[in-house]
Amino acid sequence: MRKRYTNLDPVTLLAWIALVIIGLMAIYSATHGPSSQFYQFNPRQNFGNQITWLGICLGGMVIALILPVRFFQQMAFPVYGITLLLLVAALIFGREVNGAKSWLYIGPMSLQVSELAKVGTVLAVAQVVGMRRPKTMDLRFAFLLVGIIMLPASLIILQNDTGTALVFFGLVPIVLFWSGLDLNLLLLMIAPAVAGYFAIVSMPTAIVFVVLFVAFMWWRTRNTRFSIVSALMTGGVVGLANVAITMVLSDYQVQRILSFTDPGAEQFRQNVGFHQVNSMAAIGSGGWFGKGFLQGTQTQGGYVFEQSTDFVFSVIGEEWGFFGSLVVLFLFAVLLIRLLQLGANIKHPFAVLIAAGASGIYLVHIFINIGMATSLLPVIGIPLPFISYGGSALLANTALLAIVLSLHLKKDDFSIYGY
Amino acid sequence: MDEGRSRLRIFMALIVVILGILTLRLGTLQIVERSSHTGQSVNNAVREWRVQPPRGRFYDREGVLMVDNEPRFTLFVTPRYFHEPTLPLLASLLERPDSLLSARFRTAAKNPFQRAPIQADVSFEELSRVLEQRHNLPGIDYEITQKRTYLTDARMTHAMGYVREISESTLEAHREEGYVWGDPFGQGGLERQYESEVRGVPGSDFKMINIKGQVVAEYLDGQEDRAAKNGLDLNLTIDADLQAFAESLFVNKRGGVIALDPRNGEVLAMHSAPDYDLELFTHRLDPQVWDSIRTHKDRPLFNRVTQSQFMPGSTYKPLIALLALGVREIDADYEFYCGGGHPLGGGRIYKCLDSHGSINVIEAIKYSCNTFFFEMMRRIDVNTLHRLATTVGFGQRPYLDIAASEVAVGNVPDSTYYNRLFPRGWTQGNVMNLGVGQGEGEVTLIQLARYMAAIANGGTLVTPHLVRSMVDPETGQASVPDFPEPVRLDLNQTYLDILRAGMRRVISEQSWWLEIPSVPAIGKTGSAQNTRGDEDDSVFIMAAPADNPEIAIAVFVENAGFGSGAAGRIGSFMVERYLTGRVDLSGDRGWIWTQMFNLNSEVLPDRAAPRQPAG
Repeated sequence: MRKRYTNLDPVTLLAWIALVIIGLMAIYSATHGPSSQFYQFNPRQNFGNQITWLGICLGGMVIALILPVRFFQQMAFPVYGITLLLLVAALIFGREVNGAKSWLYIGPMSLQVSELAKVGTVLAVAQVVGMRRPKTMDLRFAFLLVGIIMLPASLIILQNDTGTALVFFGLVPIVLFWSGLDLNLLLLMIAPAVAGYFAIVSMPTAIVFVVLFVAFMWWRTRNTRFSIVSALMTGGVVGLANVAITMVLSDYQVQRILSFTDPGAEQFRQNVGFHQVNSMAAIGSGGWFGKGFLQGTQTQGGYVFEQSTDFVFSVIGEEWGFFGSLVVLFLFAVLLIRLLQLGANIKHPFAVLIAAGASGIYLVHIFINIGMATSLLPVIGIPLPFISYGGSALLANTALLAIVLSLHLKKDDFSIYGY
Repeated sequence: MDEGRSRLRIFMALIVVILGILTLRLGTLQIVERSSHTGQSVNNAVREWRVQPPRGRFYDREGVLMVDNEPRFTLFVTPRYFHEPTLPLLASLLERPDSLLSARFRTAAKNPFQRAPIQADVSFEELSRVLEQRHNLPGIDYEITQKRTYLTDARMTHAMGYVREISESTLEAHREEGYVWGDPFGQGGLERQYESEVRGVPGSDFKMINIKGQVVAEYLDGQEDRAAKNGLDLNLTIDADLQAFAESLFVNKRGGVIALDPRNGEVLAMHSAPDYDLELFTHRLDPQVWDSIRTHKDRPLFNRVTQSQFMPGSTYKPLIALLALGVREIDADYEFYCGGGHPLGGGRIYKCLDSHGSINVIEAIKYSCNTFFFEMMRRIDVNTLHRLATTVGFGQRPYLDIAASEVAVGNVPDSTYYNRLFPRGWTQGNVMNLGVGQGEGEVTLIQLARYMAAIANGGTLVTPHLVRSMVDPETGQASVPDFPEPVRLDLNQTYLDILRAGMRRVISEQSWWLEIPSVPAIGKTGSAQNTRGDEDDSVFIMAAPADNPEIAIAVFVENAGFGSGAAGRIGSFMVERYLTGRVDLSGDRGWIWTQMFNLNSEVLPDRAAPRQPAG
């Protein structure tokens, strides 16, 4: 007798549809507004392409929903292997786009394999965690997980696509967190990054952060050695950043790093700060409710480069204002939290890891992308999930989501395929 | 609570915190710092285009459109966004030489972000061709300008003035009136005098431009735009037909003419010769052409109607007669003997043209008898003459509604003047020349015309003006400029009758060829000595019809001999043309007409080659 699946989650699906539609509107505005008559062919076809990719994604999602749970588990390592091969192939046969050699051209289709690698990596990590028994966390296991993630990441760095590689780095603490790594260790891993950020933005804040963090760790652990290590790691990063900026790095590199803290400054605004000055002008001038669809002066004047891809949020911020931005952030919050709940519902480490990995990857993307568009972070070229133009990214992000939906749809099957 | 649940909570909290940070950041940008970012985005993407309204049009007194506007376009290039290889395309669309445009582009490219004109005076057809190709021509945009067009044969060069781009010093002086760099500004004449009325109010067009400087769309669908307001149309007092006719008569002559309506001071025609073509000033003016106009020995830029100061010659005699009658030195029957000169002159000076025998004042005016008027002046105190001459407007700056600085004052000497001129003392003999309008003292054409009008209209000193009314072309609302009130002079009508009787005979008997068939006129000729050349200046005043005058005219032709010659003929034919609408060339008048074109101003030597002493 056929089993009836009734667990298809409507909340996730609706949030996804809403985000995709908002994305299509933003891309349409950026490429088909009053200014489109001045564009060359290339940006104008983005909208059509994205619709085509959306069709492919929908087809893929249906297939993913039909496929059995076992299939995903069995295919995890092969998919990971294929993505690694694709990454190597891109390095050899790939074409360079914006300085990154991460594109493979297959007939009329262009694939950004680094995006697809996210899916393979999350699947592989989830499978490794899912197979593990007993549920203990030792350092060797942690290194295995980090290795699985760093292998594609280093290939992507070789492709000169640092932005995407950064997402993999972001995946490391997320995966370790969900696979049960000690929270204190986790904090110790994340804190240096935060300290480094503050060291660039404001040195006093960085020092205050280091002091507070060490005090916090002491309060948590009452362990002198641990506190000393945390002080060394965070303080060391702050010191290193200071030395790097003042002595090691060339002027140009320093400017690139520092420019986001004040992109409008005299020395930045015409070169490295240009994107962010105009992106902030676009978003800031949106006000409460924005200038209206196709009415954004910055958007329609093409002042923000990459405004259908990496800087797509400037279109939303300008034309739909604070209100529209909040809607997008709210939809993301719903989607991300819902995915975690779905994973928790399934109660199987494989599903939990995929759901958490998807949610975490989205979160890193959202934070870096919107942070960059609002000059909270330096310019790092990664897309906003489901909204930015880009077929590979849409496909990869939708695939992760579809897998979670599929696993949730068939969550009862997990008992059959127990350990 | 199990470990998984707590980690789930922690991760959810992380999501909320990170999205919260982004929300705070967006709130800062979009709400707290909104205005500064809005300013930045407007600076970037919104540009204000100034819309020049059409200047007010000029109509003549019959409603004939004399001066209109035609839209012309100026193309601008922003070098930073322009793609230089497309320059030949632009040149071919405009049908201008590549080399010309590329030279301008290279000059502009020194300031890559500065928008600079690359081709002015582009027609609508040429602009349309460029706009069809605008996606291939980034960095090119345009502005509308208004060009003056002159529609009648009447040029009215000096009184009209012309329009140029505002100069730096003028801009400084008029910035508070809303002028900006590149605005048009009236130069001279009516265009200057009525600048603030004719100019209108420039509007603003806000357009969105993209990063390449191309216009993308109307900003906010044009809600912020301000429409330009047209300037006021001027209804002139000028009769375009009479004006064109006057201009056609001054062939090979230097001089001027002004015709007034003696009832109200309206200027019917006003011409200074030689003139120049105002059309030249509607384009970029070739410096060589401008130089040739500026330095020409006949001084075409000089407005002889308002600025020429010359001796009145015998046209002064009616004034002397009026004065002699007024101070009761003589009456209508008084006679004085003319034996060909005044006795004081001993036959060498104070000469008359003829021996007129015993003649009264009317005959003396008719014959223009020097002897009689020398005698009158011998008996009159020079300050008494100064008072009367000043009363009828001589030596006073006459009002005319074109720039006051352009209007000359003339000079009526009084005893102080002679004390300065003859520091060792002077006698009545020194001032007797004033009786025949020679010697010291200068008048202008406007003064002569007002004086003629006052004699003709019974003693009202009118205010000459060129504008009847100013009409708002949108509402049709008309207004009249403020002019000084005409002055009612306290003149004895009996004496004026005597003057008019003498001046009637000047036309009907003495210079009979100036008599207009069917219209009785009064007038007086004059030949004025000058320092310019050998020939006397030809001066003439006239008013007609004699009993109820509708036109008073003053004509002046430099170095053309007797007043009854060139000036008289021009005046007579103009009055005929104005009153009858035609010129009757039957009989002797045909010959008079033909001969008029031979009575030319003496050709002056080139200023560039000063006269060498003979031998």
